[in-house]
Amino acid sequence: MRALITGLLLLGLGDIAFGQNTTYQQDPNWQVPTNAASRANPLARRPEAAAGGQKLFHRNCVECHGEDGSGLVKKHAADLQLSIVQQQSDGALFWKITNGNPDRGMPSFSNLPELQRWQLVLHLRSLTPSKDAPVKQK
Amino acid sequence: MKRLFAAFFLLLLACGVGVAQESPYIVTYDHHLEEPGNLEIETYTTLGVPRSGQNFYAAPWMEIEYGVTGRWTSEFYLEGQGTAGDSAVFTGWRWENRFRPLKREHLINPVLYLEYEDTSEASRIQKEIVGGAPDVESPNSDLQPIKNHELEGKLILSGTVHDWNIAGNFITEKNLSRGEGFEFGYAVGFSRPLATLASGTPCHFCRENFIAGIEFYGGLGSTEDGFGFRDTAQYVAPVVSWQVSENASIHFSPAVALTGQGSPMLIRVGYSYEIRGFTTRLSQWLGGKH
Repeated sequence: MRALITGLLLLGLGDIAFGQNTTYQQDPNWQVPTNAASRANPLARRPEAAAGGQKLFHRNCVECHGEDGSGLVKKHAADLQLSIVQQQSDGALFWKITNGNPDRGMPSFSNLPELQRWQLVLHLRSLTPSKDAPVKQK
Repeated sequence: MKRLFAAFFLLLLACGVGVAQESPYIVTYDHHLEEPGNLEIETYTTLGVPRSGQNFYAAPWMEIEYGVTGRWTSEFYLEGQGTAGDSAVFTGWRWENRFRPLKREHLINPVLYLEYEDTSEASRIQKEIVGGAPDVESPNSDLQPIKNHELEGKLILSGTVHDWNIAGNFITEKNLSRGEGFEFGYAVGFSRPLATLASGTPCHFCRENFIAGIEFYGGLGSTEDGFGFRDTAQYVAPVVSWQVSENASIHFSPAVALTGQGSPMLIRVGYSYEIRGFTTRLSQWLGGKH
């Protein structure tokens, strides 16, 4: 029991130290239209394009989501490693990158060319979950 | 105060990454607003190539643009002008706000624009052209004492089709200092990145860092002189922007006059530098928790 408490404390301290947003909750109003969610990634057969996605991620996303995509608490940004994010379809992630969620601070990246947004989706798929915290449902 | 200035310059030097894909337009606005919490510092110059009887002039201006929220961007301008064989003058300031009423991306995305200007008649930056044509012939000593307090509104309509941005602005301006009626103008722009796929390695000169396009802008008369193209300045201007680093871009646009009014050619150059997460960085430096 003591070990469990110590472990949880260490985990919590780690989260504070690295600012990971493992308690991220999805905005229930940020719903992806069905036809958008079903879109396939045109770069799915070009895994080499993910390298460009990493570069774009570094330029555009790291400020809020962190280098490893775990999301900065102070920015209220999503932990992109969580299954709640990774279970979404490529089309859903593309739609969210394109439209943003201005009320929650997520900007629209429709200024990026379409293929570059798909490259970002490719890179998001490479963000390996280091751990998966239980997701709180609203 | 010294500490604040030191912090400001340190932020300029030490700040991290910035956003890519700056719009190449000089006059036309598209629907993309500044990201919330980001600060962009831009400096531009309009160089006016003279006709016979005119003098060469350079009209620099500085913009400080801040993303207040995801749907509201505010911008402050300072501007000046120097004319060969005449003088250099500070021509005033402007404060603009852009609001995006719709949350999501649509085929056509409206943005509402409202600006207050406190400028003199010697202003020659020509950030927009309304009414007829700006006076580029009278000496600064005649123009500078004439102050203009103006309200300007724009309806910005913009969308993206196959990576082409298409944007149109309808402009109306009211001079609160004098009875000039309402003056009208327009701007239309088309632009596209030269490459739509990002390479995997950092590069400065690769095509993905360039956006090229074309702008058309000019006056549309006024309620006093009649709506239309008569006696107005009209320009066509190729535009190009180059993302030189992750947070800086350079803009260039030579505008050619299509009518006999105003300057026959305007050469515009600009440099913009974006500080991401400016609010967070500032509050951290000032000791806040943010």
